[in-house]
Amino acid sequence: MKRKTKERIGYIALNLAFILLCLVTLIPIYYAVNVSFSGPGSSLSGDFSFLPEDPSLENYRAILFDEPFLLWLKNSLLLSVGTVAIAMLCAVTAAYACSRWRFKGRRPLLMALLVLNAFPQVLSLFAYYRILRLAGLLNSHIGLMLIYAGSMCVFAVWNMKGYFDSIPVEIEEASKIDGANDAQMIWRIVLPLAKPAIVVTCVMVLITVWNEYLFATTFLLNSDYYSLSAGLYQLQSNDYTRSWPLFTAASILASIPLLLIFFKIQKYMVSGLTAGGVKG
Amino acid sequence: MKKFLAILLSALMLMTLLAACGTSDEPSGESAAPASEAPESETPAEPVELTVWHDNDEALMQAMADAANAKLEGTGVTLTFEKRTGLSDQLKLYGGDAANGPDMYLWAHDSLGTFVAMDILEPLTNLIDESVLADDLPLTVEAGQIDGTQYLLPVYFETLLFLYNKDLWQGDIPATTEELYEYMVANTDTAAGTYAVVNQHSTSYNVSPFINGFGGYILDDEGNPGLNDPKTIEAVEYNKKFADLEADGDYNTVTTLFNEGKAQAIIGGPWLVAGIRAAGIDLGVASLSDMTLPNGEPLAPFSGVQGIGVMKVAAETKGDAIALALEALASPEVGVALAKAGGCAPANSLSYDDPDVAADEIIAAIERTADTAQPMPNAAEMNVMWGPVDSMLAAVNKNGQDAASAAEEAQAAALQAIADMQ
Amino acid sequence: MSLRRKLKPWCWCVPAVLLILIIIVFPIIYTGYISLTNMNLYHWQDYEVIGLGNYARALFKFDSGFLSALGTTLLWTVLNMVIQLALGFLIALGLNAPKLKLSRLYKTLLMVPWAMPAYISILLWRVGMFNTELGLLNKWITALGFEKVDFLATNGIAFVSCLVLNLWMALPFMISTIDGALQSVDRSLYESATLDGAGFWTRTWKITIPSIRPVIAPAAVMTTFITFKQFDIIYLLTQQRGYMTGATLNTVITYVHQNAFVSNNYGLSSAVSMLLFVIIIIFSLATNRSLRED
Repeated sequence: MKRKTKERIGYIALNLAFILLCLVTLIPIYYAVNVSFSGPGSSLSGDFSFLPEDPSLENYRAILFDEPFLLWLKNSLLLSVGTVAIAMLCAVTAAYACSRWRFKGRRPLLMALLVLNAFPQVLSLFAYYRILRLAGLLNSHIGLMLIYAGSMCVFAVWNMKGYFDSIPVEIEEASKIDGANDAQMIWRIVLPLAKPAIVVTCVMVLITVWNEYLFATTFLLNSDYYSLSAGLYQLQSNDYTRSWPLFTAASILASIPLLLIFFKIQKYMVSGLTAGGVKG
Repeated sequence: MKKFLAILLSALMLMTLLAACGTSDEPSGESAAPASEAPESETPAEPVELTVWHDNDEALMQAMADAANAKLEGTGVTLTFEKRTGLSDQLKLYGGDAANGPDMYLWAHDSLGTFVAMDILEPLTNLIDESVLADDLPLTVEAGQIDGTQYLLPVYFETLLFLYNKDLWQGDIPATTEELYEYMVANTDTAAGTYAVVNQHSTSYNVSPFINGFGGYILDDEGNPGLNDPKTIEAVEYNKKFADLEADGDYNTVTTLFNEGKAQAIIGGPWLVAGIRAAGIDLGVASLSDMTLPNGEPLAPFSGVQGIGVMKVAAETKGDAIALALEALASPEVGVALAKAGGCAPANSLSYDDPDVAADEIIAAIERTADTAQPMPNAAEMNVMWGPVDSMLAAVNKNGQDAASAAEEAQAAALQAIADMQ
Repeated sequence: MSLRRKLKPWCWCVPAVLLILIIIVFPIIYTGYISLTNMNLYHWQDYEVIGLGNYARALFKFDSGFLSALGTTLLWTVLNMVIQLALGFLIALGLNAPKLKLSRLYKTLLMVPWAMPAYISILLWRVGMFNTELGLLNKWITALGFEKVDFLATNGIAFVSCLVLNLWMALPFMISTIDGALQSVDRSLYESATLDGAGFWTRTWKITIPSIRPVIAPAAVMTTFITFKQFDIIYLLTQQRGYMTGATLNTVITYVHQNAFVSNNYGLSSAVSMLLFVIIIIFSLATNRSLRED
């Protein structure tokens, strides 16, 4: 009985702590939402009001319909899917090989990857320009996907290798006996078991694509090909076009698709290890 | 340790191996692009589409394109304006790229020296006769020259203005900066967040009226920085006393304060006007030339000339079409269209004959300021000057550093940056 | 058969290695090549190899200013990592409390900062939080009757402001990684430990941390790199052109950017980058201890 009350108090405290934490985290977001609804008559410099005075959807309308927002959104989604596919295909195989097989050159390879990661990528602009021009991939989404996938590949390999290491080999050996080849086994056994790591890695790649604007505004020559963040960057980049309420509305809109994805994938973040009961 | 060496060695070997292919790729890439462009050299009778890159307001540029294309009708030449964010960096990549880069660009004249040093621009006189520029205001023509060669076709120009809220400002606009300061002291309440005048007081461009007015300079004609010139220091010190009463000087802060009626006046360019009008402010405008400093000289802001430059690689193959386009862009009609679309002061003096342009008080104020305004230096060195000057202003205005020592540091940084260019 | 066995792992790595060679290695080699040339504004298209001259000049960029920037960067990285790991672990542990019904909601809410594009977040904080006139923090401070605080004006307070912002932006990744790692812990270990009478904290210390350490080590090391190389936050918050706040806070990357990149001398700045790359490699080899397997 006593233990139960203690536990209950503990949970109340935990809930309170989380509510507080969420509130603190959301303050800037809340500010952005508040400003984004501000109409022409409301004031940013005055006292902060908890609800926007004179709320208006004008900023959202302007972003959605006066700017090619939906086109940019489509491009962002396209880029994201392509990049995640390329990056994961390359990274899962490499991570699996590095995790399971002790081959010659494995450790130097892993260390080399890590060290290469230390090079500041901003400096690569000229080199990328050369490669893309040579390959005829300027102004194309494929060129950008390759750049994004390549820059996230090291991270993806390392991140997933760490998780693969934690999966007992015995599980795989059992399926080997059943006659599955390597690819089938990874698809059916390893990936489901490593779901949390896979999901986190995908999300990380996704976010990189969603965030990136420098390469996108540089290598895409037609603004109809721009991703969302490239388009928004262009919108607020100079004194002629800068509008704070418009910008906050745009940032809220740009975040919503990712938030929906986060919410949707939560359930996949639970590992097959515990959920599936594969463990022997 | 052995392992570490092995890694390093293998990495090095990999690099040298790849370096071999990497560098050999180089020339083939260079030669491929111009070769594929060569056969495109054509007579203007065939339709030619010319691309102009800019980083300005798109509606403004569209008005300009429409006016120029109307002039070009029947020649088969059409102009398209494309917005490229971070234009200056983009031209570093695409300036010599005939296949992917622009044919022309539109940008403020202070970066001209950089592009000329890079040798990516074609002198205009190779394409058009000097008489095309005959009607342009001399100030705007000179801004487009480097060592006597004309590289930019001026289109419009800008200066800072004294913009005030007619409902809030009491009395006349002061005739001297000292009177302005007294007014600011009397009408500013920083704790309540209400200000008499706001300015981006730690941004070089916005402090230029003081620096130039005091006889100081950022960069002289020979490309030498003058940050520790006694007159520059005096100007920076003088600016500080205003800065203390001008909020934090951040762009978003000062424009928001003015647009929301928390500041009675703002020192800013014509690009603020659209936002101010949209906020419903009854806007008054005065020229900074009408305000004198304690030394008796008027405030002398920088002027920025927005002009069109022609890429060398484009001139080689599309010279005739570009010449036609330049002549169209130099016409007074383009100036009128820009003035009507966004309050830009046209470079072409004939544009001012249009009654609407003549009646526009913003444009009149800019034109009036042109008397004392100094064109921004356009030497290549100017590109590295903004950083040190901004640091110096921020150090003095926000961190209370003494102006003389901040000036010495900034001067040293500027000299180092200029030396690094070579 | 044996050769095939030897080659098989490498074949599996081929796509990744190829991609990395093109996207990561080639730019490094290219930068190395440019560092040997006189590519600058005056030799933009007709540059030629001039040897190691740029390196001799580049060494002067690693002066006392660089050393102090290096100190700042180390402090920045260590503080960030310690706080991120500690907070991330505590929060993830809390989220995994078996009877926390709203954990999925909390998790999603805590992920929100992640969803916002990074530069947007930075601008949002600069104007919406830290700004003296428009920022929420100052509105609350003045409402409580205190003087306005300029959160970005001097180095000390600007460092803390940057740190808070970085935590806000980076914690979601740490939380979800650790949260994922916690799922991999073998439940039976807990059961037997509980039977042995171990309390919650003992179990956490003896079982949870050792079990998740190898899983989160790669993520932690990657985050360390990202934190070390962090440029946007400090640059956009305090020293963007036209928005300098007065703080002279510099990390190695912003310092090198300020001192070697503004002049558009690509030969020189490439040499500086290559030297900086070597310095970062040395640091990464120092941290590599934490990655020892087994």
